[in-house]
Amino acid sequence: MMPTLTQYLVISLLQIVVVLGFVMTLVPLLTFAERKVIAYVQVRLGATRVAGGLWGAQQGRLHQSRTVTGGLNGLMWFLGRVPVFSILRGLPMFIADALKLLTKEDIVPASADKAVFVLSPALALVAAFTVFAAISFAPGALFVFPKAVPFLGGLPFNGFLTDLNVGLLFILGIASVGVYGIVLGAWASNSKYPLLGGLRSAAQIVSYEVPLTLSLLVPVVLTGSLNFNEMSTRMATDVPANGMVAIGRTLIMFVGFFVYTTCGFAETNRTPFDLAEAETELVAGFHTEYTGMKFSFFFLAEYSSMITVSALASAFFLGGHHLLPFGIQGFVHLSGWWGGPHIIFFLFKIFTLLFVFLWVRATLPRYRYDQLMNVGWKFLIPYTLIMFVIAALLRYAA
Amino acid sequence: MASSLLRTLIPFDIYGGMKLTGKYFGKVLLQSNRGTKRTHIVVEYPETPVTLMPRYRGRLQMIKDEQGEIKCVCCLACEKICPTQVITIEKGKKEGRKTPYPTRYDFEMERCIFCEFCVESCGFDSIILNHQFELAAYNREDFSHGTEGVFQNMYDLTPVGHYSVASEE
Repeated sequence: MMPTLTQYLVISLLQIVVVLGFVMTLVPLLTFAERKVIAYVQVRLGATRVAGGLWGAQQGRLHQSRTVTGGLNGLMWFLGRVPVFSILRGLPMFIADALKLLTKEDIVPASADKAVFVLSPALALVAAFTVFAAISFAPGALFVFPKAVPFLGGLPFNGFLTDLNVGLLFILGIASVGVYGIVLGAWASNSKYPLLGGLRSAAQIVSYEVPLTLSLLVPVVLTGSLNFNEMSTRMATDVPANGMVAIGRTLIMFVGFFVYTTCGFAETNRTPFDLAEAETELVAGFHTEYTGMKFSFFFLAEYSSMITVSALASAFFLGGHHLLPFGIQGFVHLSGWWGGPHIIFFLFKIFTLLFVFLWVRATLPRYRYDQLMNVGWKFLIPYTLIMFVIAALLRYAA
Repeated sequence: MASSLLRTLIPFDIYGGMKLTGKYFGKVLLQSNRGTKRTHIVVEYPETPVTLMPRYRGRLQMIKDEQGEIKCVCCLACEKICPTQVITIEKGKKEGRKTPYPTRYDFEMERCIFCEFCVESCGFDSIILNHQFELAAYNREDFSHGTEGVFQNMYDLTPVGHYSVASEE
C-alpha cells in the first residue's frame, strides 16, 4: 500500500522527531559517559551525585535529604554498592549539565561580527544534524503501524529518513559544511585565540578530508554503489566466488576500519587530534568567545558528528545492520534472528565505537601540529591510496 | 629499519596504551564497590571513613595507662621543645600517686604546627598526635584544649568531629 503525500509527510516528520530525539538525548548521555569513562580509566569515580536542586543548594547530608535530588542521591549511594551499576551514579548530572547550558548568560563580544557570530553555531549544528537524513539505522521497515492507528494504519515506519542513491556523497558533502561553522565562528569572534584555533581546525579538517574520503572509497569500489543501505548490506553479506578475493576483502575492511576511524577522530576534532581546542595554547580554541546556548550548539555539533563517524564506520566496515563485522557474515550462516539485519546490532556497534572515542581520549596525548600534518599527508593518504588500488584489484578479480 | 617501519604501520604503542587504560577501566567497573572493595583511589569522605597513614599527625592527645591514670609526669620536656609554645603545664600533686600530676595541661591548637617534637621529646610515651583531622571550629576558644575546666576536651572529639558522618559502613 503506497502512502499518500500527506501520510508520507507525517511519517517523515515522525521519523525526523525520532532521529533528532535520539541524537539529542545521546549527546548529553555521551558527555556523562565521557566523564565516567575517563574517571574510571584514571582510577577515579567521576560524578557520583547531583548537588543542589533547581531552587538552590542543599543542606545537610547529601544522600538523606528529602528533596528530589536527595532521593536521587540516595539511589545513587545505594548503586555504589554494586560494582557494575556503580557507573550509573551521577546519571542525573546530564540533565543538570543541559539545564546549566540553557540558563547561562549569552554574551556576544562587543567587537564581534554579530550576524556571523550568531549564524556560525547554527551552521555547525545544522550541518551535523542534516547528515542523519542519509544514515540508515535499519534497512527496510522498523515496524508497521498497526491497523488501529488512525490515518497511518498499515504503513511502514522505516529505519531511515531517506534512501538516497547518492547517500554517501550527501553525508560527506554536508559533513564538510560543518567546518564553515567553526571557521566563521572563529573569525567572527574577533579574538586571536579563536582565530588560531579555527585556522588550525580548518587546515586539519581539510587535510583529513582527503584520506577520509579515500578510505570510504574502498567500500564504494567494492560494492559499486553510493546508496547507504545497499553499501552496508553488501559490505556485510557479499561473498565473492574466489576464496582469495573473499579473504582479501575481509582484510582490507579490517585495515580500512582503523584508517577510517583515525581519520574520523581528526575529522571530529577529537583527541588525539583536538589541536583546535588545545587548552594549553589556545584557551578553548574556536569557541573561546562563545557562551551558553551558542557554545552548546558547537558542543552538540561535535558530539553528533562523533555519532555520524561511528555510524559510518559501523555501517561500512563493522557489518552495519548485521551481526558480524568485516564481511564475515557472508561466510558464516547464522540462523533466525541472529542472521538477519536488525537495528540493535547497528546501535550496539555505534555505542561501542563511541566508547572507543572516549577510551582513546583517556589514553592518547595530543599530537603536535607538524606531527598531525605528517600523519595526514605522508602516511594516511598514501596508505589509503594503496588500499584503494587493492580494493580496485579485488573488484576486478571478483 | 624494517622493524621501525612496522612500528609505524602497525600502532603497537597505541595498542599498549589502550590495553593499560582498558585494564584500569575494567578493574574499576567490575570490582569497585563503595564500601568494602575500593579499586579506585577516591575516598567518598563525608560518607565513608578515611584510612590514614600510620604516621599521620593529627591533634595532640594525652595517653592514660591501664588504671585510667594520666601517664604524664610533668617533666616539661614538651613545653620546652615546642617551637610555637602551645603547651602550658602546671605541676601538681595527687593523692596516692608518687609521680607529679599535671593539674593543668593546656594545648592551644590554633598555633600548633603539628611538628610532633613534643611527642618525640616525651620520655614516658604519655602524649601522641592522634588521627583526628576534622579540626575546624567556629570559635577561637574551641581550639584550646585542656584536661580541666570548661575546655577539658583533650580526650574528646573536636567540635567538627561531633558532626562527622563517617561511621556508616
